[in-house]
Amino acid sequence: MAKFNQQGTAVPATPEAQAWKFSDITAVDGIREKWEKVRKYFFLRESTYDMTHRCNIDCEGCYYYQGDKAAVTENRDPEQWRQLMAHEKQRGITYVVLAGAEPSLVPELCRVCFDEIPLGCIATNGIKRIDSAVDYQIHISVWGNDETSHRLRGAKNMLERQIDNYRDDPRAVFVYTFTPGNIDEAEEVAELLARNNCRLTFNMFSAPVGYAGGLRHDAASLEKTRQTMQRICAQYPEHVCFSPYNIVAHTHRLGLHDLFSCPYPRANPSTEIGLGRSFRQYRTDLSWDRSAACCVPDTDCADCRHYAAGSAVVTSRMFRHAKNPELFKAWLDYVDVYLAVWVREYEKSPDLCSDLVAPPSHDVFEK
Amino acid sequence: MQQELTLQDTIEGVARIIIDELKLEDVTPQTFDPDLDLIDEVGVDSMDLATVALVLQDEYGISIDEDDYPKLKSLRLIAEYVLAHAPVKS
Repeated sequence: MAKFNQQGTAVPATPEAQAWKFSDITAVDGIREKWEKVRKYFFLRESTYDMTHRCNIDCEGCYYYQGDKAAVTENRDPEQWRQLMAHEKQRGITYVVLAGAEPSLVPELCRVCFDEIPLGCIATNGIKRIDSAVDYQIHISVWGNDETSHRLRGAKNMLERQIDNYRDDPRAVFVYTFTPGNIDEAEEVAELLARNNCRLTFNMFSAPVGYAGGLRHDAASLEKTRQTMQRICAQYPEHVCFSPYNIVAHTHRLGLHDLFSCPYPRANPSTEIGLGRSFRQYRTDLSWDRSAACCVPDTDCADCRHYAAGSAVVTSRMFRHAKNPELFKAWLDYVDVYLAVWVREYEKSPDLCSDLVAPPSHDVFEK
Repeated sequence: MQQELTLQDTIEGVARIIIDELKLEDVTPQTFDPDLDLIDEVGVDSMDLATVALVLQDEYGISIDEDDYPKLKSLRLIAEYVLAHAPVKS
């Protein structure tokens, strides 16, 4: 297994010949503490919910308006949403992701969800502030500087409005989605967010099925994104929530499914255990379809490097990462980032692994 | 000379690992129903099972395939899996 440092220089790898026992891996300095820290959250069982048809902007390549999700009837009855959440809780769901199209436009439904299941996250464009009584993590989507956002999303002064709404809000995490066209803007946006004491994590544009626009990544844009992420992580460690292994997993030539085997129902026929058994993606009419169920429906699986997908896909593959201390450290750092991004009041710890470690059975810079 | 593992000993050994790793209360290796469905009745999920599998590999010197998780649904099934995959004593 090839391993590289932050500068991309090959470094000696742990000898593969040594078969590590799990108890020996977890006895290594630093690993035990982080392992005990993250495993407390293994009780999280997620499902996702489209909240409304409506949105107040129109973004190129938005997953919600792909496929037939937006064609179903919208259920706006809080009581029926309450019953759905109660039923979800009963079947073991402990974490909800409220998304599509724009949840801030139905605050009463967000509140109902929070009252029933108090752990969760709302994916929003951040233009309309979500009341702090809904104490979910708030993910605010950022697609570049204001000029680019205006062009791709049709909204003026987005960053300014997003920051005004969520500056110093402990729920808020700004999610910068890298496209081939906005890589050069990421550093100025990171600087602005850090200056306003806003937390930041990274997403990768992942093309919907059939998408023919110019936002799909290629080998050159993946490499450039990787280098940019590394610089921003080094420059703003207090504000950026990402790790070297996040960088590897999300800028690899192969998508998440090819690297780790996606366990979401859409890509996984097994209903025996895990996400294949429990995960559902509800549409606005409160129906769900197993064959379409994943965290970003209608994304082309081969191109999926989405941050939400990775949070489940990489995390669920613990067993594959428990091969040696370096690989397990990388996995722990990834899970630590996932929890800090998705769970209220979870604090990210310093990374255990500063090198770019290859995913199991792959290289870092695979051709 | 090492003694052969019996099914009953293995069931209790697996029960101890599950109780320790998943921090189960109000149950002991002796009182743990070996036929209880760990997924449906105990609420064990894939991350729990991965943790247990890693410890089982350490304890019994076996190798567990990720694809075999769905087979590990009860103490008895896990114990039988362990015995079937345990290194042959010379």
